[in-house]
Amino acid sequence: MSSKATFTLFLIIGLLVTLALIAAPVVYAISLSFYTMDSFVADPEWIGLANYARILSTGAFWNALGNGLVYSISTIVLQVVLGIGMALVLNQAFPGRNLVRGLSILPYLLPTVVIVLTFKWMVDGSIGILTKAIAALGLPPIHWFESPQAAMASSVMVSVWLWTPFVTTAFLAGLQTVPTSLYEAAKVDGTNAIQRFYHITLPMLKPVLTVVVLLRAVWTFNKFDVIWLLTGGGPVGSTEHLAILSYTTAFTKFDIGGGATIATLSFLFLAISVFIYFRIFPLDEEES
Amino acid sequence: MAQVKLSAVRKAYGAVIAVHGVDLVIDDGELVVFLGPSGCGKSTTLRMIAGLETITSGTLHIGDRDVTALEPKDRNIAMVFQNYALYPHKTIRENLAFGLRMHKMDRAEIEKRVGEASSVLGLNELLDRKPRQLSGGQMQRVALGRALVREPEVFLLDEPLSNLDAKLRVKMREEIARLQKQVGTSMVYVTHDQVEAMTLADRIVIMKDGHVQQVGAPLEVYDRPANLFVAGFIGSPEMNLVEGRVVQGRFEAGEFSIDLPKGMTAEENSAISLGIRPEHIEIDDTASDIAFTADIIEQLGAQTLCAGTAQGVRLRVMTTRRDDVHRGSGFSLRFPANRLHFFNTETGNRISTEH
Ligand SMILES: Nc1ncnc2c1ncn2[C@@H]1O[C@H](COP(=O)(O)OP(=O)(O)OP(=O)(O)O)[C@@H](O)[C@H]1O
Ligand SMILES: [Mg+2]
Repeated sequence: MSSKATFTLFLIIGLLVTLALIAAPVVYAISLSFYTMDSFVADPEWIGLANYARILSTGAFWNALGNGLVYSISTIVLQVVLGIGMALVLNQAFPGRNLVRGLSILPYLLPTVVIVLTFKWMVDGSIGILTKAIAALGLPPIHWFESPQAAMASSVMVSVWLWTPFVTTAFLAGLQTVPTSLYEAAKVDGTNAIQRFYHITLPMLKPVLTVVVLLRAVWTFNKFDVIWLLTGGGPVGSTEHLAILSYTTAFTKFDIGGGATIATLSFLFLAISVFIYFRIFPLDEEES
Repeated sequence: MAQVKLSAVRKAYGAVIAVHGVDLVIDDGELVVFLGPSGCGKSTTLRMIAGLETITSGTLHIGDRDVTALEPKDRNIAMVFQNYALYPHKTIRENLAFGLRMHKMDRAEIEKRVGEASSVLGLNELLDRKPRQLSGGQMQRVALGRALVREPEVFLLDEPLSNLDAKLRVKMREEIARLQKQVGTSMVYVTHDQVEAMTLADRIVIMKDGHVQQVGAPLEVYDRPANLFVAGFIGSPEMNLVEGRVVQGRFEAGEFSIDLPKGMTAEENSAISLGIRPEHIEIDDTASDIAFTADIIEQLGAQTLCAGTAQGVRLRVMTTRRDDVHRGSGFSLRFPANRLHFFNTETGNRISTEH
């Protein structure tokens, strides 16, 4: 077989797999949003944009969108700040650095369920280590999953815990690419450590930062498991975001069309956000 | 502008001693070149002056200030790095102005200095570009400009030309020499290229294994190398060095023998080495002093370099161009007495000859 024929063959296989596994389900899911269907075996009935009109007029949708934004933005900000901080520390030379670097990635390697369960134990009302620590400090007990704010804070905390290692690793890799001589030139030019961070480190990390924020934003906005396992969206919808709302609408209320509509709206929102993001922070800066 | 004074400046990395006590005074306005083979401690010494490496022991003064323990930013120095180290995300203008901004200089003055430096270095057209839009030579100019605008007390340059091609290197070398004389600021320049050192320096500091071997003006170092290392290191092609002994007032190496200069004091039978530069050996077709047979001829254009054997000793001889020599040609050589160098083979030190 000629190499061109081989190439074409592999290309066709790849295309077919992509179509079957990615494009088809997406198209199917989107198409469902134009139908009404009260179970997966019922015959779908075409209703056009009626699902959209209905969903957009519910408070639950806007509440979930708001929650999703609060959850994603606070998670990303915390992750980036902590991630850069840890990367800076781990980039210094100190004894046992490699061990600490290895340990710091650990949460990222654990299954989400393990992290969530560990957190639940830590805040357990009677035996939790955090509960005891808070009591020992003489502070009033926190009802982690009962107050809306605490539930949201828990979700954010667990996500930050889980994903900061990824951000740290990305920044650490970025830091290694900054030539030492730039820092030395800046030292000779009269800067202190903070000025060097702003004038050298941050601009040099900008490409990594752009990608990391984007990836984290997309993943976090769609992140289902952490919140589902931790709070199930509660109490009273205070941690329910679009992914959870879509799931409960489709699978517990059997409003399949509604669920598909929420998923489609979420996808559109993300697509537009990513587009705007790339307009503001182009990956490849063009210079005149 | 100021004098720089190193007193017993030493650098140790744990057990490794990179620089053994260096004592050196760099005069106000002087251009001093640190020259030596790779790993001899040139950069380390320069970086200690800059404050980028701590000084293990000894003291460093710039002007009358003791700066031994000061941060680079408080030393009033400017440095040019081998890889230029321009800030990639800043424009050339910002690169030039950055050090001044960090020293809280007012805008008008910054603008004036950046304008002057860019005119002197021909950077006016490039000010709004980013470093990656420049050629190597242009980046090198910006790096020089960044040092220039600071108007520091000392310029420190670490192999600033080694990333440039040969032609540009010569051009930039001249430019650096011109600028330094123009602004009259002391400069320390690190290189392993002896031609750069010879052409630029007011004084050369030759280093080896963390020790200073000799300090002197270029011609002084060329004419009176202090030891075997300097003799072999300075000059191209390399000086001929022949190991031998003192026998009855003569230098002898096997069959090879030559009169010692009058007034030279050397113990009978002591091990000494003779040095003579290829360009100082004269070819004399009439006298039959020392017979030489050439076996490698290198035509350099203006000169002819012959390598061969004279009385069992390998020698290289350089003459003005001769088209009539070829493999196997024989000549008589003459060694002018005032061009001979003698060294104690054991210590390597020069044996003084009064001439
Ligand atoms: N951080 C360090 N730790 C241990 N040894 C070092 C360190 N930095 C330099 N050295 C050693 O110090 C010696 C002098 O190094 P230096 O960089 O000053 O050499 P150099 O003369 O500038 O050589 P080159 O021409 O290759 O730049 C070398 O033997 C080097 O291995
Ligand atoms: Mg060096």
